[in-house]
Amino acid sequence: MSEKSLIQARRLRREFTVAEGRAGLLGSIKSLFSSKSSVIHAVDDISFSIESGEFVGYVGENGAGKSTTIKMLTGILTPTSGQAMVDGIVPYEERVKNAFNIGVVFGQRSQLWWDLPVSDSFDLLRAIYRIPGQNYSANLAELSSWLELGPLMKMPVRKLSLGQRMRCDLAAALLHAPKVMFLDEPTIGLDIIAKDNVRRFLKKINQERGVTIILTTHDMDDIEALCNRIIIIDKGKIAWDGDTGRLKDEHMKGKILEVEFHGDDPGQVALPGLSPFKREASKQWLRYSGDGGAGLNEVISALFANYCVKDLSIHAPKVADVVKAIYRQGEGRGEVGP
Amino acid sequence: MSDHSSAMAPAPGAEARLFLAIERFPALTLYLKFALKAFQKQLAYKFEYFVGVANGLLFIFIFTSLWKNIFDTSKAAADISFSRQGMISYAVFAMIIRISMSQDDLGVMGKVRSGQIALDMIKPYNFFGATLAENIGGTMFHWFTRAMPILAVCMIFTSVTMPRDPVNYLLLILAWTLGYLIYFMVNFLFALLAFWIVETFSFQLMKYGMFTLFSGGIIPLDFFPDMVRPIVAWIPFMSVLYVPTAVFIGHLQGAQAAGFILFQAGWVVALGICCALTWRAARKKLIIQGG
Repeated sequence: MSEKSLIQARRLRREFTVAEGRAGLLGSIKSLFSSKSSVIHAVDDISFSIESGEFVGYVGENGAGKSTTIKMLTGILTPTSGQAMVDGIVPYEERVKNAFNIGVVFGQRSQLWWDLPVSDSFDLLRAIYRIPGQNYSANLAELSSWLELGPLMKMPVRKLSLGQRMRCDLAAALLHAPKVMFLDEPTIGLDIIAKDNVRRFLKKINQERGVTIILTTHDMDDIEALCNRIIIIDKGKIAWDGDTGRLKDEHMKGKILEVEFHGDDPGQVALPGLSPFKREASKQWLRYSGDGGAGLNEVISALFANYCVKDLSIHAPKVADVVKAIYRQGEGRGEVGP
Repeated sequence: MSDHSSAMAPAPGAEARLFLAIERFPALTLYLKFALKAFQKQLAYKFEYFVGVANGLLFIFIFTSLWKNIFDTSKAAADISFSRQGMISYAVFAMIIRISMSQDDLGVMGKVRSGQIALDMIKPYNFFGATLAENIGGTMFHWFTRAMPILAVCMIFTSVTMPRDPVNYLLLILAWTLGYLIYFMVNFLFALLAFWIVETFSFQLMKYGMFTLFSGGIIPLDFFPDMVRPIVAWIPFMSVLYVPTAVFIGHLQGAQAAGFILFQAGWVVALGICCALTWRAARKKLIIQGG
């Protein structure tokens, strides 16, 4: 772990004590006097370091510990043990100082003032972050042109659509030009075009402004489109950490062939170089790993020679498939090393 | 210096110009802005506003009628430290002060329960200070748009008159401010309960009950039986409405008034310490609801 990394997590742990509720009226009365509680290890010994300018996807199932990690990095939560450091500041010890360096967007919550016009919320944020006049105007003008905020500025936040609100929230998180941006499911509930706009914007601020971005999402297309690194967290532990491209190479090399057959189901295709992946009525998905020595063209020729192929398409494996496979492995045999 | 002239920046309103002068004090600017935005927020709800005014007038009518009847029919009223006219003044001003002190006492609790408090925690400001500033903004709105018009109506349609002595106004400002802070901090502490208890409705109910009974808004301290009066006097709620009302109408004067105001100041300090300690404990306890 480099001492100069922008963001560091060192053996982070966070436990929660959760009181167990009891069912029924009698149960409720009982739990008034004696409360049973259990300890949950939301984050269990996590270490990583993130360099300036990275775009990291932080991925995991619900309850895997993603949000808890983000809350420790943003200074909302104090870890049970271990240490976090963001730009040389321990976030939960110097919450206010850290707040100046980070921008946070929660897809499910808005940081804009519900009853006020968007411009008023921005004005308030300007005071909150003590942004000097010229910086503010220039920055807002740029963000506004990228996100096309012009017509939204005078509208009260409660009248914005989800997509419009997200655009405003993204700008709000970047007004003070933070070095680091934490995004918690920024595309949740958005339509395809709005999602695409958000993604293009995020890519832009990462590339043109060099903002380091940590993105948690359930949408693997977000990860695939944006992140050059992915950290998968499962049951509070890191299940995988590395380059997004390498993730595919290691866990799912090659291509997926989607084949549709004429007439009767020919049964499971058995050809050298292809292994079964998924099967559904007259369609089969076959995995070509390239390990057997046979080239993709030879395998396809053999497929056409031996079966009545109606349609064939070739896909690169998706991150979603790989992540799903890692979750499943985690359930079966504990951890999966990188 | 500020530059609002960019095409994309908000138009330079009167408010923006006002803040040019104090741009050099960022913290002060921030809290003033919080207050202003809260004031502005209230403007969004016009219907709520008119209902509020009507409600205030209705309550004043009910309580002045009630006291008039009590004084006209009860013989025991003669023994009481209030005159008939004094009691009516008390009822009117206590209600107006109550309206002027209106606070958003469920805001913090709602933030804790919904997890929205996470958004406050990622901002570089003091949560207590920001909440207080916002509350003051809302209260100023109530002062100017509710308490003042209701006061004007009462001046026209009731026998109540404003005190002549400027000392009464000075004492009011002092006692009102301290009472306001006490009320704010009691609300803040009750709201923080939401960190430990998910359902705080019964506590809120208890608070409302105690406030209604012990704040002096309806029954002044003087009317409590001798045995319970010392206890009621010690509860911080008495400082909220009774003390400002009583010093304003001249019911409490001189050393007596000074004593009550000192007592208020003591409560402000004590509650301030409680708030700081509870907030610190709450931060450790913090679990953001809903992930």
